[in-house]
Amino acid sequence: MRIRVYNLIVLTLVLFAAALAAETQTDSEANREYQIKAAFLYNFIKFVDWPGETSASDKPIIIGIIGKDPFGGAFEPMKDKTAKDKKVIVKWFKGLDELEKSSQMDKSGKHPQIDDIRECNLLFICRSEKEKLKETLDLLKDRSVLTVADMQGFLEAGGIINFVIEENKVGFEINITVAKKAKLEIRSNLLRLAKRIVGEDAAKKP
Amino acid sequence: MPVLQRMTIKDKLIFIIMLGCVTGLMLAGTAFIVWERSASRDNLVRVLSTRAAILAENCKSSLAFQDPKDAENILKALHVDPSLVSGTIFNDKNERFATYYRDSSIKKVTPAEFKKVIVTFNNDFLLVSSPIILDNAITGTICLQSDLNFLHESLKHGIQIMAIVTFLSLLAVFLMSSRLQAVISKPILSLAKVAKTVSEKKDYSARALKHGSDEVGLLIDSFNEMLEQIQHRDLELVNAKEMLEERVEERTSELTSANEQLTKEIDVRKKTEGQLRRAEENYRTQFEGAMDAIFVTDAETGILTDCNPAATRLVGREKSELIGQHERILHPPKSLVGEYSKTFKEHLAEKQGETLEDEIVTKTGKVKDVAIKASLIEVRGKRFMQGNFRDITESKKAEAFKTQLLEQLASANQELKDFAYVVSHDLKAPLRGIKTIADWITTDYADKLDNDGKEQLSLLANRVDRMHNLIDGILQYSRIGRMEEEKVQIDLNKLVPEIIDMLAPPENITITIEKELPYIECEQTRITQVFQNLLSNAIKYMDKPKGQIKVGCVEENNFWKFNVTDNGPGIDEKYFEKIFKIFQTLAPRDEFESTGIGLTVVKKIVELYKGKVWVESKVGEGTTFFFTLPKQKTGAEKNEEHLQTSAVG
Repeated sequence: MRIRVYNLIVLTLVLFAAALAAETQTDSEANREYQIKAAFLYNFIKFVDWPGETSASDKPIIIGIIGKDPFGGAFEPMKDKTAKDKKVIVKWFKGLDELEKSSQMDKSGKHPQIDDIRECNLLFICRSEKEKLKETLDLLKDRSVLTVADMQGFLEAGGIINFVIEENKVGFEINITVAKKAKLEIRSNLLRLAKRIVGEDAAKKP
Repeated sequence: MPVLQRMTIKDKLIFIIMLGCVTGLMLAGTAFIVWERSASRDNLVRVLSTRAAILAENCKSSLAFQDPKDAENILKALHVDPSLVSGTIFNDKNERFATYYRDSSIKKVTPAEFKKVIVTFNNDFLLVSSPIILDNAITGTICLQSDLNFLHESLKHGIQIMAIVTFLSLLAVFLMSSRLQAVISKPILSLAKVAKTVSEKKDYSARALKHGSDEVGLLIDSFNEMLEQIQHRDLELVNAKEMLEERVEERTSELTSANEQLTKEIDVRKKTEGQLRRAEENYRTQFEGAMDAIFVTDAETGILTDCNPAATRLVGREKSELIGQHERILHPPKSLVGEYSKTFKEHLAEKQGETLEDEIVTKTGKVKDVAIKASLIEVRGKRFMQGNFRDITESKKAEAFKTQLLEQLASANQELKDFAYVVSHDLKAPLRGIKTIADWITTDYADKLDNDGKEQLSLLANRVDRMHNLIDGILQYSRIGRMEEEKVQIDLNKLVPEIIDMLAPPENITITIEKELPYIECEQTRITQVFQNLLSNAIKYMDKPKGQIKVGCVEENNFWKFNVTDNGPGIDEKYFEKIFKIFQTLAPRDEFESTGIGLTVVKKIVELYKGKVWVESKVGEGTTFFFTLPKQKTGAEKNEEHLQTSAVG
């Protein structure tokens, strides 16, 4: 048993290393990575406090995924899971481009999904939305949405958490300033694990 | 505990106190250590659990984001506590996620070891595990392993401290108890000392000093009380002993004195016996040499047992003839009554010691008159009649002769009295004749007679008067014993004033009755004569211009003592006897008409009444005549009829 666990860890590490070294991600490797990221997304909920969030309200926690979904079935195991005693719902949204293309605007010139996007607690912005990143982030400016992505320069662009791969392991970095603007409270446990912290309190990070 | 028994109270106290102290300390220390141990174990568990919980909290993000390095960093903080041996974090699949070991020698913890219980003590280690919970789901387990050195150390320390504390406490307790034990032991020791003193010296006056009012105090009180009682008892014993000694002494002295008394008594007895013997001898001598004849007769049988020589002479028989004979042989038949003589019976009956007259008969048959004085005597329990016989034949003759003489004398005396009376009476007639003739001559021959003759005739008449008075006096005197008069109750308070009235004293003389005079029973004529004579004498001889005569009476023994007192010339003491003799007057005849019979009459009357008369006087100051009359019962009746007066010159 012990050997098996040990082997498993070694195997994982080997796999991560292999993936990084190859620079090319096989399906399974990518799948694996996004499984972890999905789990991370789910776990972020537990370490971030939203304003006005009370356990009494039955409002589910919505995880939005915008753009071309890289997760595949990574969210399957999280279906019907709860966090903070609330239901967690995963919603997929099309990228802004596509929304604009589809002329299903309502009377105010907005796509009805926009509101849904804004209603999200956590929004994972896929790499496909890199071009429309600014717009997307602007859309959420006045909302308390934890924006997560896995692309370079996301934090600088105004994102809050960005996944990074370090030593073949999934890590993340955090922009506290933006989080604060969005009135999100990120717990220190999470901050401690961040590989990089951007923002006013960045200096504090050792 | 024989060792404890042998110890002194002081040591015992100290030992007991110290033993108690040590026991207490040991118990307390043990309890404390046990408690401390369990508490520190609990504490250890608590600390470890807390630590595990905190670590779990800190590690949950590490687990959530699969960051074992972070977890290990967190676990590294455990090195601060050297007792922590290892820390292990397992993930939800019980895979070892992160580990910390103090050193490499530490055995790794397997999930099996913490699965069963959260807290596990094995020999040297304490294993505490705490689940890592993230959002209601167990995401892993943290497991901390601590060695128990700390516990062992604290136990060691505890035991050391306890030992030190015990030692110090013992020292302090020893010092304290050494001092304080005196509170208990001192009174007891002093008590013991006192008890020893008491028992050794027998000094029950010793007292134990009381130090407090505890049980020892009570004991001391009781002891003292006991001592007091013993002392009291002892004192009583001593007293009793002394008393006993005193009594023994007393008894001894009593015995001694009784002995002395006895000796004395024996002496006295001897002396008495000697005296008795002498008395007996005396008696014998008297008996033998008595003038009277003495016969001793058995009072019961009347048998003669003894007699003296005078007795043999009286009856003319030898003693041997008399002894053993009945007393009746002494008497002639006419003085016998039955078996015994009359006088023997009488003497035996009621006339003991009296002198009775009887007759006896001698051997020759001669009858003699005897006076017998007999009385009962007791000799050695037997009664005897001792009779003294005196021959009165001669004296009886002499008496008869005397009686005869007296009778002759009395008749001669009577004749003389009669003669005196007759002579006196008969002499008065010729005297009256002479007086009458003298008167006639004086009257008839008055012119023929010269003065000389008249004087001589008057002198004659005077002498005749005196002669008359003299004869009257003699008559009166001779009449005193002769005439019988009835005795009556006389009230002298009436009689005396009447006598005074009759005497008619001159004005310069006052007669007073000093006191109330009694009633007396006598012949009125005579008592009148007594007062008349005394008062008339007082009046007659009064020489003072103011004469005082007093009559008084006092009671003296069974007599009335009367007095007639005057303040006249008085009488020289040498005449006190003479004045009561007949025909004696102190003054010359011519000066006072006096017959010299008055006081003689007074004396005779008073003596007739068994009274006395006497005089007390001082020349020139006065005279008091006293006379006494026996008191008689004063009768209620007073006979005042016979108030007779007779003047006595």
